[in-house]
This record gives sequence, C-alpha cells and structure tokens, in this order.
Amino acid sequence: MNNWVRENLWRHVLAIAVCLFSLFPLYLVVLSSLSTNGSLHLTSFVPTEFSLKNFRFLFNSPKIPFTHWVQNSLVIASTVAICSVVIGAASAFAFSRLRFKGKKFGIQLLLLVQMFPAILALSAVYVIMERVYRFAPQIGLGSQAGLVLVYLGGSMGVNIWLLKGFVDSIPAELDEAAKIDGASAVQTYWLIFVPLAAPVLAVVSLLSFIGTFNEFILARLFLVQMDGRTVAVGLQQFIGGQYSQNWGPFAAGSILASIPIVVIFLSLQKYIVNGLTAGSVKG
Amino acid sequence: MSGLIRGNFAFMGKVALLAIVTAMLALLTEHAFVQKEYAIGSFLLFAILALNFTYLTKFSIPLKFFVPGILFFIAFVIAPIIFTLSMSTYHYQTGNILGKGEATQQVVTLGAEPDENGTTFDINVGETPSGDFAILVSDIANNKFFISTKDTRTEVPASGVTLDENGVATAAPGFTLISAEMLSKSDDYSRIHYKYQDKFYIGIEGQNVGAVFQQSLTYDKAAGVIKNVVTGDTYKDNGRGNWAKVGAPDEMLTPGWRAPIWFENYTKLVSDEKVRTPLIKVFIWTVVFAGMSVLTTFALGLLLAMALNRKIRGRRIYRSILILPYAMPSVMSILIWAGMFDTEFGAINNLLHTHIAWFTDANFARGAVLLVNLWLGFPYFYLICSGSLQAIPTELQEAAAIDGANPRQIFRKITLPLLLQILSPLLIASFAFNFNNFNLIYLLTGGGPRETLDGQIAGATDILISYTYQIAFGNNTQDFGLASAISVLIFVLVASISLYGLKKSKVMETFG
Amino acid sequence: MNRKRLGLFGVIASAALAITATVVPAAHAASEILIWADETRGPHLATLFAANPNVIPGSTIKVVSFSSYAALGDALDKYTGSAGPDIFIGGNDWVTKLAKSGKLAPVTLTASQKSNFAATNFFDLTYKKKIYGVPVDINNVAMVYNTKLVTSAPKTYGDMVDFYKANKVSKGLKAGLCFTGGGMAWGGLSGLSALGADPYFMRAKGVPDVYKGFNGTTFGNNVKKYLLDANGKSNGFFPATDTGCADNFKAGLVPYATLGNWEWKKYQDLGFTMNFMPVPGVVAGTYGHMFGSVNGAFLTTNAEKHGVAVAAKSLLTGYFASAAGQIAYEAIELRPPANLDAQASASVSDAQKNMANAATLAGIPQIGAFLGSNAGGANYWDSSGGYWTAVLVQGKDPVVEGKKLAAMWKKNVAVGKADL
Repeated sequence: MNNWVRENLWRHVLAIAVCLFSLFPLYLVVLSSLSTNGSLHLTSFVPTEFSLKNFRFLFNSPKIPFTHWVQNSLVIASTVAICSVVIGAASAFAFSRLRFKGKKFGIQLLLLVQMFPAILALSAVYVIMERVYRFAPQIGLGSQAGLVLVYLGGSMGVNIWLLKGFVDSIPAELDEAAKIDGASAVQTYWLIFVPLAAPVLAVVSLLSFIGTFNEFILARLFLVQMDGRTVAVGLQQFIGGQYSQNWGPFAAGSILASIPIVVIFLSLQKYIVNGLTAGSVKG
Repeated sequence: MSGLIRGNFAFMGKVALLAIVTAMLALLTEHAFVQKEYAIGSFLLFAILALNFTYLTKFSIPLKFFVPGILFFIAFVIAPIIFTLSMSTYHYQTGNILGKGEATQQVVTLGAEPDENGTTFDINVGETPSGDFAILVSDIANNKFFISTKDTRTEVPASGVTLDENGVATAAPGFTLISAEMLSKSDDYSRIHYKYQDKFYIGIEGQNVGAVFQQSLTYDKAAGVIKNVVTGDTYKDNGRGNWAKVGAPDEMLTPGWRAPIWFENYTKLVSDEKVRTPLIKVFIWTVVFAGMSVLTTFALGLLLAMALNRKIRGRRIYRSILILPYAMPSVMSILIWAGMFDTEFGAINNLLHTHIAWFTDANFARGAVLLVNLWLGFPYFYLICSGSLQAIPTELQEAAAIDGANPRQIFRKITLPLLLQILSPLLIASFAFNFNNFNLIYLLTGGGPRETLDGQIAGATDILISYTYQIAFGNNTQDFGLASAISVLIFVLVASISLYGLKKSKVMETFG
Repeated sequence: MNRKRLGLFGVIASAALAITATVVPAAHAASEILIWADETRGPHLATLFAANPNVIPGSTIKVVSFSSYAALGDALDKYTGSAGPDIFIGGNDWVTKLAKSGKLAPVTLTASQKSNFAATNFFDLTYKKKIYGVPVDINNVAMVYNTKLVTSAPKTYGDMVDFYKANKVSKGLKAGLCFTGGGMAWGGLSGLSALGADPYFMRAKGVPDVYKGFNGTTFGNNVKKYLLDANGKSNGFFPATDTGCADNFKAGLVPYATLGNWEWKKYQDLGFTMNFMPVPGVVAGTYGHMFGSVNGAFLTTNAEKHGVAVAAKSLLTGYFASAAGQIAYEAIELRPPANLDAQASASVSDAQKNMANAATLAGIPQIGAFLGSNAGGANYWDSSGGYWTAVLVQGKDPVVEGKKLAAMWKKNVAVGKADL
C-alpha cells in the first residue's frame, strides 16, 4: 500500500489536476450554452438553469442556416484533407525515396517557406482570387471551391514536410526490393508504398481536416454568403457584432461543431499518437 | 503483347485524367486571357504544358511526383511571398494603393467641381437625329429648356416641349428619348460632358439628374503634370506616389498611387525611432513568448507523459480528457478563454475571488496569454512525449539504476538529453509556430493593453506578427509597405533561428 | 498510331473541345448593382429588394451580407481592382480611409434632396469637400434612469454620483452609470463629455471649431471629484468597461444607463420607462455630448467600372435617400430614418420622440476626419477607452492623463481638418 502511494499517488494527483485544467473552460461553455442570458458571465459554477433555447435557436431560426454551416465545414475540410494528402504524399515520397538533383535545396526551401508569416500573404491571396473571380467566378473569390484551392495551396508545404517525416520512418527495404525486381518508381509508389503508408496518410489527412475546420480568417473573407459559410465563420457573427454579443448560441454552436472532431480524435487517438511520434522519432 | 495490354489500361486511365484536367485548365486559360488576366493566364498555360510534358514524356521520374504539388505551391505560397517582397519596396499605404494610371484618372474625376450654387437640372437622355447622345434639360425654376450634346447647346422654347406631370420636358423637336431599359445596357452616355456655358458642362448624376460641373484639374500627359485650370496651380509627381503642388510640396492631390521607394521601408525599421523602439520591444516579447510557450507546454506535456508512462488505473480516461484541448477547435476555445478573463464577470476572478483587470495590466495580460497557450499546447507535447518515452531504450536507464543512480538523476542525465535530441526538430517547429501565433494574440488580447495616451502603437502582448497585422490592417493608416518589410524581417529571423537549430540537431544531414 | 501520339492527341482534342464548346461568362452581370452590407443590414436589404425588384428601371440589385461588421470592413480594405461592391452600407468612420485611397466615388445631391437631411448628417459622408454617400439611418444613444430606483430625473452629474454613494450599500449597486451598447468609444462619448472631455466642439451654425480643445485640467479635476475616492481609486460609480452593463441594469443594480436607439425596445418590453435624456453635465442645464451619427450608403469607383454608375447613383439619391425608400427600409431595419420627411411620417412612439429630443439637446455630428486621425499619437477610438483604463484601472493621475488626452485630440483635429 505504502509502495503504491509512493509510486502512483502523484501520478493520479497530477493527472486529475491537469484534467480539471483541461475541462474547466469546456465546462463553462456547456454552462453558457444552457443559460438564457446570452453572456459568458458566470456568477455561479453550479448550473442554475437548464434551457435548450440556444440549441433550438440554431436549428429553428430561419435566418440561421446552422446545418448548412456544419455541412459546408465538413465538405470543405474533407475535400482539403483528401486532396492535400493525395498531392502531398507523392511529393513526400519523391523527397524521401528518389534521388535527383536539387533535392536538398527543395527540402530546405520547403522548410523555410513555411516560416514566412502568412498574414500579409493574405492580401496577396485575396488579390489573386479576386482576379480569378473575374474570369472564373465558380472558383474565384467568394466560392467554396476557391477557398479549397487556397487551403490546398497554403497547406501544401506543411503537409509535404509532415508527410516526409512520416515517410522517412517507414522502412525502405520493401520498396527497394521492388525496385530490384524491376518495378518503376511509379509502380513502387502505387503498389508498395501507398498501401504501406496508408495509416500515416490517414493521420495527416485528419490533422489537415482539423486545421481546415478551425480556419477562420480566410474563410471570413471568402465565404460571405449566408448559406455558404463555415461553422467557424457563422458562429463568430454571434459574438462579432457591431453592437451586441450573444454568447449563448455561440457556446451551443461551438459544442455541436466540436463534437465531430472530438469524436474522430478520440476514436483515432492511438493512430494519431503513433503518427505524430513516427514523424519525429527517428533520432 | 500481354505487357502492352496490362499497361494499356493504366495508360488509358492516365490519358483520360490528363485530358480532363487539361481541358479544364485550357478553358480557364482562355477565360483568363479574354478577361485580360495575363499573369494568371500565363501561369495556367505553364501548368498545362508542365503537366502534359511531365506525364507524356519520360523526361524526369521525380517530376511526375512533384508537378501537382509544385503548381499549387507556386500559385498560393511562392506568389504571395513574392508579392509581399515586392510590396516591401513600395510606398504602399492608405492613400497610396492604386496604380498610377488609375490614381491619376481618379484625381481628374475628382477634379470636376460643381458650380458655386450646386446647380442641378432634371434631364432626359436621348439622341439627336444624327444619332449623337443628347440630353433634354429642364430648367424648371426659370421655365427654360434646352438640348445639349457634347458640342452644342440648342435652346427650345417652352411652347415646343412636352411636359410630364412634374413639369419636366420629355419630348422636343430634334430629340428622341431613349428608354431607361435601353440606357441601362451601357453607360457610355454618362461619360459625356454635355455643353452648358463657358467652362461649365452638365454631367449625368442619376437617371434623370444632371449637375453643372467645371473640370478644374486636367492631366497633361506630355508634360507629366496635372494642372488646375481655375487656380493656375501645377502639380508634379513627387516621386513618392502623389501629385504634389509645385512650390508647396505638402499640398497633395488624393488619391495617390503606390510608388517604388526601394529600401526606404527597411531603413525606416532602423532609423525611424517611432518604428524602431516598438519593434525592438515587440521582438523581445515575441522571443520570450515563443520560448516560454515551448518551455511550459513541453514541461507539462513531458511531466504528464512520465506520470502516465505506466499502466495505472484510469489511464485511458485521463488521456482522453487530456487531449480534449487539442481536439477542440482552437478559435472557439481562445474566444471562450477571453471571456473567462473578464474583470467583472470572468470565471477566473470569480474562482480566485480576486478582482484583477487581466487584460489592462501588461504583466497579467502576458501571464494570461501564456496560460492560455499552455492549455492549448500541452496535449500536443504530451502525445509526442508519451510516444517518444516508449521509444527510448530502457536498458540505459536500468543500467544506471543498477549503478545506484536515483530516478531524478536518471531523468536529468539520461532520459531528458535523449528526449531533447529526439524532439529538437519538433521543439524548433513549435517555437517557429508560436513565433507567428497570430490567432492566439489577435483573438485573446488583440495585442493589448496599449498605453494609447502615451502614443503606443504596440501593445504589451503584441508579437511581431500581430504588430505587423496592426500596421497593415489596423484602424489607423494602413501601411502595407512597412508591414511587408517587417514580414520579411520576421522571415529572415525565424528562418535563421530554425536553420541554426536544425543544423545543430543534425536533421539536415539526413537530407543528402 | 503509337501510344505517345494517341495520348497527346486525346489531350489536345479534349482541350480544344472545351475551349470551343463554351462561351466565356462575364463575372459581373450587366446592369447588376452589387451592394455589400453587414450581417444585420444585409439580410434586411435583401428582403427589401426582393419585394421591390424594380426600384431602378433596367437594373437588378444583388446584396451580399458579410458575417460581421468587422468582416465587411476587412473586405472593403482588401478588395482591389473591380471585385468590390458598387455600393456598400456602413460606418461613416470608414469614409476618410476609403476615400483617401480612391475607393469611393462622389455623389451629387440636388438642393431639394439635401434639404431632406440635417446639414450635420453630411459631415459623416464627406472627405475633402466631396460627398461620397447618402445618409440612411441615425444612430445615437441616450440615458435612461431606472424608475424603480430613482424617482426623478437627475439635474447634474453630481446628483447621480450622490444618489450612487447614498444607495450603494443599501441597494447593492454595482455601478452608477454605464453604457449598454455602442462600445466605450462610440457609445461612451457622453461619459467623457459630461465631465468636460470632447474630441471637438461645434460652433452655433453646425460648423466644427477646429481651434478649440477641451481643458484637460478641468476635466481631470472633475474625474477626481466625481469618480475617485479619497485614495485616488475608482469609487465604482463609473466602470472602465461596458461589460455586463446591460445585465446589471436589467437586474436593477445600476440606476443610470445609456441605451442605443437600436435596442431600446428590448428594455421597454422588460418594463423599463423610456425616460430618455442626455447624460447631465456637472453644471445644471449642460449635457454630455453624444454622437448623432448616420449610417450611410456609399458609392464606390467600381460602379463606373461595371458600367452601372448612373443606376447606382439613382439608387442612392432616388431611393436610399428618399422618404419612401427609407420608410420601406426602416420598416424592416427598425432604426430611425435619417430623411426628415420619413422621420415625420413614421409612426413615432414616445420612446423614439424622447430619444430624438435627447439627440437634439446634446447630439454632435460624427466627423470621421477628426475621430480617425492619429496625428496626436492615437485616434479617438483607441484613446478614449485608454483614458478610463489608465485612470480607473491603473490608478494614474486623472489630471496628467487628462492633459495628455486633450493635447492628443487637439492635434488630431488640427491635422484632421485637412480631410474635411
């Protein structure tokens, strides 16, 4: 018993303390979502009212296409997640496995460019998509397709870098064996590498999904039409108003919008942990 | 033969896909050129050629893997960076954002001055028998009517016109009315200066409204100056993007245009005390913020990982709860934290029974920022560390334990150095990420508090990127040129730090 | 034919087919007027024009609503070329910035159209003597007192402070005076002005006095006298932020609060008496100024580029500025129209009348050229709240800070007048 206390008590105390720290803000969100007074001011930590008014407001108000927003977020984020990995994996494979001139330069460029502060690039991206809008409104400024293109472009560097890390950690013996058997690089890629790297690709696309789902600054400028907004943009309007803030629906919406991500995250946490560490642990 | 057939299927698929993509891009290219978007059109054309050349020839195998990625990379990463780089050499701020041609055109447009009384007339637009645009003007107050074209003005006696119920002339001899529907197809007619008297003309200011103007400013293209024909003043290009009055260079016409000033924005960073002082202050806090963020998140993450690096009861539940902050959309959690730090009603003061004005005191605000970032960031390092701890071979630790080292010594001398070596690329990446962690600062404190009464632009929690944003898109004058120069500076700083770190951690060696 | 050629042929053929088979569309439909607005006004405008599609013969109107006022402001800053709107509905404090950069186009109003508005309305829409839009609706705030706590209207600022001090403990008051809406900078002007701090002063004829600044010492001493206790700490009468003001006022924990003219109905429905008045000054019969500002509909240079300049101008002057147009719009938007005829003909409630009276007593025009200028170090919007934080939260000397504020605003006006 004494031994147990010495060995394990601190572990539990620490874990519980940090768990409380993690949960505290989330608990307050839940309280606010059940409260009717529209503010995030908490005078009591015990729920004093239990009202579903905010949730009903999101689904019943004719002016608030909340389900559309969620749908948009899901569609945009999954498109980006899938496409960015499909495109990125090929480049990562080439960086990791093929020999060619300028490889080192390419990798360094990729790494450095990621460190460019993207805030001003925002203006440039806006100008580019504005011009695209002039000749192809379907994929220009204001369209979801345009936003997807921008996300894809913007995430390309990070994803290739991340994927390269993962790919490096996959043993090269198999595809080298294939090469000896006379398979071309393209065949090796499709027949050996992709099946092998599938779990890693899934993790990166998941991270990409979450990142896109969260993105707010570009989406706010791009998706102005009420029905076309993403959840992050749509919800922000409740608290970003010129004259008033309404935290109730914001809290309720945040909870609902977080559910899919949290569920995915928790159910795949084992893979995510493995994926994240695979990228780094290669000493 | 069989090989050919086996390959044919893949080949046909490839060609079909390529054909679809090419067709779509070709279509877009055509539209781009038709709409005179030559830069984008050329890029699309380049994309078509690059794709087809790569996939239909055996020129380069690696390129087959790279081309789509490279194209996206150029369009949305490299192009904006080049844009920022070039903007940093321009005088590009509120008042100087248009191109020179457009700015000059607008200066001239704005140089149309209404006459002294702001005279306006009811008008109808039509045409003369010869097909020229004409307006039928009703000077109702004086019961006078006339038809004006670009060059002529013809009086019409009151007896000769047909009036509507408001007393506005709608028909007159030598004038054919054009319907509003027809007019809405093109507004060429509205660009015409219809003759009035002396230097004055009538401009179209609405579907049935004409106003009397005088063109005071004119552009003399040959001499490259703007002249005010009323006052006789001349305005010259001052080399910094404005038409400035000869003899009084501070009197400038608006709007101006973005003009190249080469390295002035960069020298300003050093020489202009108003720019330099806040920049240094912000830079120091940025480094402290990024460093402390990495340190605290890594420390807590590592501590947790070690605590839970053993099969204790409830480990799965702990883990699920601990990664919730990472799984929650960060935009929402940051906004919620911002609400929690409110002085009067925030949950934090409520919980601590304090009355701290978190976001108006510099040190409390900095503490709050670090605390929130700890909340956001520790799960990441917890996940990473718990994975890495398992990857560290246990033999070393066991050997040390047998040699009589206590657990603390083992951790300090063996586990930590090993971990740091493994994780250094991620620690550097985390530092770089926090160096540019715009969302956190922007949504939590907005960079504040600022001592505005002392003329501070940079707030106590402003990091370089939020400070840059403030300069580029803030409430005050928006200086894109200066902000671009700061961006480039940030880039050079972060890139060198990271490169140095990576060199030290020897990650680059594996690139060869 | 070998494979290589076959592939090439296939690709070229499909590309050629795509190019010839389609017609290049125009991004901006001919004779379409594009309007940008924020998250509340946008949907209302869309409803309005859906019901009245033919207000401008031969033109259609498309409304784009942004997710917030700030998002609209961002987009207006960022658009270049011709992708922006032809008209936008929004804040007057954007005029200086946008006009200076050449994004706005001037509008000419006839004498009779101008006479439909208070002359001061046009300050908000003017940059360098040119008018860039038309006034649509009016924004102002006014103070109410909770009749359950206070029985009669306060005559001076001191009356309110005395009431607060006398009842603070017995009634559990959280504050004496606070602002429910409009923010501490815009909505909070009367709090500063009642004690003597004004960003600029108006002459009798509605012309700004560009040489007069407020007296920082007098103001600082007033702050000391009314808002600080013996130790130089805030006495709690006036909170430095507007957070929670609405909740506290509703709960009967604050006797005096200012309400916006867009939100008073909520309070009336809760049973409060709408006894609107300006915030009383330190001397009986004087009042703290409030912004009586207008939201405008502005014309951009895109209208000309899109070939809809005439139609857009007609929409502005002939519809947005007209009594009929404003009555129709405000029937949905529920703010007071700016057009004087529309004001007269609207069915005006007592609350609205009181609100308007308060504005008549103490309203000043919102002059963006002064308020947006940061020549003195910071503009009005950033510095006004900064004063309260410095004095009430950080405990700095009210006179020293007051002098700084006075010097700053005087410089802002002196430089900003060039943009009038």
